[in-house]
Amino acid sequence: MILQLVILIVKVILLISLLMLGFAYTTLFERRLLGFFQLRLGPNRVGPFGLMQPLADGLKMALKEDLMPALADKSVFRLAPVFSLFAALCVDAVIPFGAPIHLFGTAISLDIANPSIGLLIAFAFSSLGIYGIVLGGWASQNKYSLLGGIRASAQMISYELAMGLSVMGVLMLAHTASMEGIVLAQKAHGWFFVPEIIPFLIYYITAFAETNRTPFDLPEAESELVAGYHTEYSGFRFAMYYIAEYINMITVSGIAVTLFFGGWLGPSFLPPIIWFLLKVGVSMFVFVWVRATFPRFRYDKLMSFGWKYLVPAALVYFVATAAFVSGVL
Amino acid sequence: MVGIGILAVLAIAGAIGVITARQPVHSALYLVGNLLALALLYLDLQAEFLAVAQVIVYAGAIMVLFLFVVTLLTAGKEDREPPEDLAGQRAWAGIVSIIVGIVLVALAIKYPGAELKVALPANFGNLQGIGRLLWGPDFIYLVGIAIMLLSAALGVLVLNPPKRERQIERQLAAAARAREAAAGGGAVPKAESTNGKEGQGA
Repeated sequence: MILQLVILIVKVILLISLLMLGFAYTTLFERRLLGFFQLRLGPNRVGPFGLMQPLADGLKMALKEDLMPALADKSVFRLAPVFSLFAALCVDAVIPFGAPIHLFGTAISLDIANPSIGLLIAFAFSSLGIYGIVLGGWASQNKYSLLGGIRASAQMISYELAMGLSVMGVLMLAHTASMEGIVLAQKAHGWFFVPEIIPFLIYYITAFAETNRTPFDLPEAESELVAGYHTEYSGFRFAMYYIAEYINMITVSGIAVTLFFGGWLGPSFLPPIIWFLLKVGVSMFVFVWVRATFPRFRYDKLMSFGWKYLVPAALVYFVATAAFVSGVL
Repeated sequence: MVGIGILAVLAIAGAIGVITARQPVHSALYLVGNLLALALLYLDLQAEFLAVAQVIVYAGAIMVLFLFVVTLLTAGKEDREPPEDLAGQRAWAGIVSIIVGIVLVALAIKYPGAELKVALPANFGNLQGIGRLLWGPDFIYLVGIAIMLLSAALGVLVLNPPKRERQIERQLAAAARAREAAAGGGAVPKAESTNGKEGQGA
């Protein structure tokens, strides 16, 4: 019992440090890659290859003055970024990072929890992440922040629907909603991106919208809204939003890998956890690649794309998968 | 048992917060707290799917839509309450609630509740259990509610159709004509309309 508790606490601490480290080096990874995509060098001055740049950035963030707008709703203003970061960190608790390992005579699974409805729990927490953005935009009492927050809520609710529908096929094929069960089902039946390629594409597109990344970064479109919902935030509170956005990127990549690309599965010359991290890394590269390639959507196009194309397509494939799994087809 | 007590206190505190908060956004936040406490109570009942559905549907979707509307309507407004119309209703409300409370306590003492010893059915409140209920004996209600919600959504579209562009143009032209008439230019209506057309062409 005590051993289990100790293992759990160690796992939580490891996960949070891994995510924070992942966040720090994702920013560097992104800036260097953007530099190469745009035929320039990117940050390479601080340490070898710029490897100390995240540390310098973190120090700068921590030392900046924490501004509070005079008209802001103070408690909500303080609560909002915390809520964002909390929701972003919680989702990762149900993602298995690797096959169970054996230490001290007990099997240790590489996730914090493996509930039978793991996937739904991930969706529940990620749906709470909207609050941070909406509340931050409202509490700032600034019209650009407010517009950013309202755009974010409309966008995320619309795309969450298509996202939820796109993963239903995986649930039906795997006959379980547990994340580990889904990975094990892919061990038996092959990776699910083969039969579910269209839902995977829908999931991936909606993942860009859920994380507010280009080309769906309307909530923080700098040419129209200054910086959107986090215009008034500075210092560490801004950093929390920033961290939440990058951790959300890691999270949606982790869920995509778990659902469609076999999670930790892979040839045995590398340990499972390395396979998982490699796959997530490829997905992060695609995130940066898309950012360097695509221009931003217009807002009405974004909404009509979500409702008129993504949701119907996901619905059709959902019904088709149901017919296939139940043996009607 | 202690957990249930803590969750109950949290849920009640959230519910009280909803009606006492001055800012609508604060009310919405208290309601979110209340919903999350309820979800944890479901979890305590081993009804894990109900708990998650509560969070996804109520906290994640419905309350976000509430906030969406509330933030739009209350941005930059002051949170002072208007003066009350019905003087003295607070005192009466207090007296009535005390009487109701006394009656309830008296009833509870007279008829003490027997402890429920009902074993939970298999798959109570989890994914399989709810699925079998919804797609088994309760399927007809599911279909009924689906049709009701769909007709409500369609009703909104029928009662509030998106305006066609020509209609909007006609309204704009009418408004412009009314403005010119109010200005009292004295121009002949025919000349006005040609002016309007020229203006559009340019």
